[in-house]
Amino acid sequence: MIIANSLVKSFGDSTAINGIDLQIKKGECFGLLGPNGAGKSTFINMMYGTVQRTGGNLSVFGYDPNIDSRKIKKRLGVVTQENALDESLTVFENMMIYCSFIGLPKLDRKDRINELLKYMNLSHKKDARIQMLSGGMKRRLVFVRALLGNPELLILDEPTTGLDPAVRHLLWGKVRELHANGTTIVLTTHYMHEAEVLCDRLIILNHGKIAAAGSPQKMIEEHTPGYMGIFSLDEKETIKKILSTKNNFIHHEDSSGIYLRSSTLPELTSIHSDYGLTPLQIRPSNLEDVFLKLTGQELSIDA
Amino acid sequence: MLNLSLSFSTWMESVRLCFHITLRNWTVYKKDLIANISPTIADPALVLVSLGLGLGSFITNVEGMTYMQFLAPGLTVATALFTSFFESSYGFYVRMTYENVFKAMLTTPIGVREVVIGEMLWVSLKGAVMAVGVAIVLALCGLMINPWLIPATAIVGLLVALPCGAIGLLSTALVNNINQFQSVYSFIIAPLYFLSGIFFPIANMARPVRIVAEFFPLIHGVRLAQAIFWDKGIAHAFMVSGSILIFQSLVFCSLAYWKIKEKLIA
Ligand SMILES: Nc1ncnc2c1ncn2[C@@H]1O[C@H](COP(=O)(O)OP(=O)(O)O)[C@@H](O)[C@H]1O
Ligand SMILES: [Mg+2]
Repeated sequence: MIIANSLVKSFGDSTAINGIDLQIKKGECFGLLGPNGAGKSTFINMMYGTVQRTGGNLSVFGYDPNIDSRKIKKRLGVVTQENALDESLTVFENMMIYCSFIGLPKLDRKDRINELLKYMNLSHKKDARIQMLSGGMKRRLVFVRALLGNPELLILDEPTTGLDPAVRHLLWGKVRELHANGTTIVLTTHYMHEAEVLCDRLIILNHGKIAAAGSPQKMIEEHTPGYMGIFSLDEKETIKKILSTKNNFIHHEDSSGIYLRSSTLPELTSIHSDYGLTPLQIRPSNLEDVFLKLTGQELSIDA
Repeated sequence: MLNLSLSFSTWMESVRLCFHITLRNWTVYKKDLIANISPTIADPALVLVSLGLGLGSFITNVEGMTYMQFLAPGLTVATALFTSFFESSYGFYVRMTYENVFKAMLTTPIGVREVVIGEMLWVSLKGAVMAVGVAIVLALCGLMINPWLIPATAIVGLLVALPCGAIGLLSTALVNNINQFQSVYSFIIAPLYFLSGIFFPIANMARPVRIVAEFFPLIHGVRLAQAIFWDKGIAHAFMVSGSILIFQSLVFCSLAYWKIKEKLIA
């Protein structure tokens, strides 16, 4: 459905996307994971021609977005990174304008809007001005807008950034539902957990290049298998002692704590039983660990 | 044949989208109608009272008429200038930069061409309506020789608003921040306003100023409006000044499209 070959985008002399190869299949939920400035939005925008690629090939639904962007745009819905709603208009007015832009038949508009407002739990806000909505409501409304045309492909550019956990979980539920109903989804995020929960496959993007690709489980197995114990920085001395006697831990530390990874759980818990150290956390290794390993710590701070 | 019908339907869709962009602007505009419309009415009224009645009492004869009569056509044109310039400079800039309106719009079948044409359609319609509104008031004050010509001021409003709106759009594409519009206003729009024959006969202006002014739309709009208000040489004015305005519209709109495209498509 989407094929990129050696895709490049330069803005003047800075390169935002630097040679990307990927394929996204119909029905898949595909994630682009990366810190701020990694090139996620640039890639998304290239898919429908708002950013014109400067090198390589890109095909969406078999069309070249540099040329046939309108044909592509008719078949997709986008949750843009910025909400871009008309603040002075009501929820309903905003959606009516979009119905007219995407050319939805006049008679269907009202029903479609009502149906989607209900789906996103916004029916009670139908006549409220955008100014009166909370951040989470606005975000849900942008989802409604993206879904008005019943798109085959749904693009989500940082759909949950800055939202509280309740709204985030609600939106995840909706994304899963849409995915289950066969909508192809391309999602960008800098929340590892979000990618892990939602995506069938993903790439980790760093400085415009693919740092890793695959399913979340495969990536974890490949790069950071096992379990992670996180210890307080105050325990530095003890940990040093442990590491000098045991060499089956993979160790790194940053300002948030000391990280020890091991292939089995008992090895980690033995630290508690043998040395009396209580870890801040013991958990299965996750995408965040993969991410930190592959992209270096300085980036997680940027993100 | 298939090709032809295909491109015709693409063309029709483009027209439909332009129209919906115009409609969108109207929907937003009418939400705050009083605040939006009052400067357009208040400004010419202020000029008319202060200059027309105040200064006018010292000037009893300009080209054989009272100063009020002389001033009236120019005020109609100035209204079209300001309404279109401010809409497509500050207005468009805010929509583009702060409200991200086009980021969302461009995810729909709308392209930059529709954005620009829709915007120009909107400012020219607004210019036409405002010009007629001001002309009605002026006619009621007895400043129009033949009030049956009021509808013709719509064409003047449209033909002035279109190139002036395009100049506004062009400056939107060129400024680096919203404060720079102040310079565009001070160095281009305000001089045009004062030196395009609205306040005193064009013939009295210094020659170099006059030559420069000819390259901008306002002076031609003033000639056209004067012909209509004074009911004098209307056909000739439409043929000459009207053609020049259409030509300038094409030039400024093309430049604006080319520059705005660089802003909206990276
Ligand atoms: N229109 C543009 N002009 C110049 N540079 C840009 C433009 N858009 C993005 N960039 C640059 O490209 C890089 C990637 O940006 P972006 O795709 O927005 O990152 P992300 O969405 O992953 O946070 C950044 O360094 C950004 O500054
Ligand atoms: Mg982004």
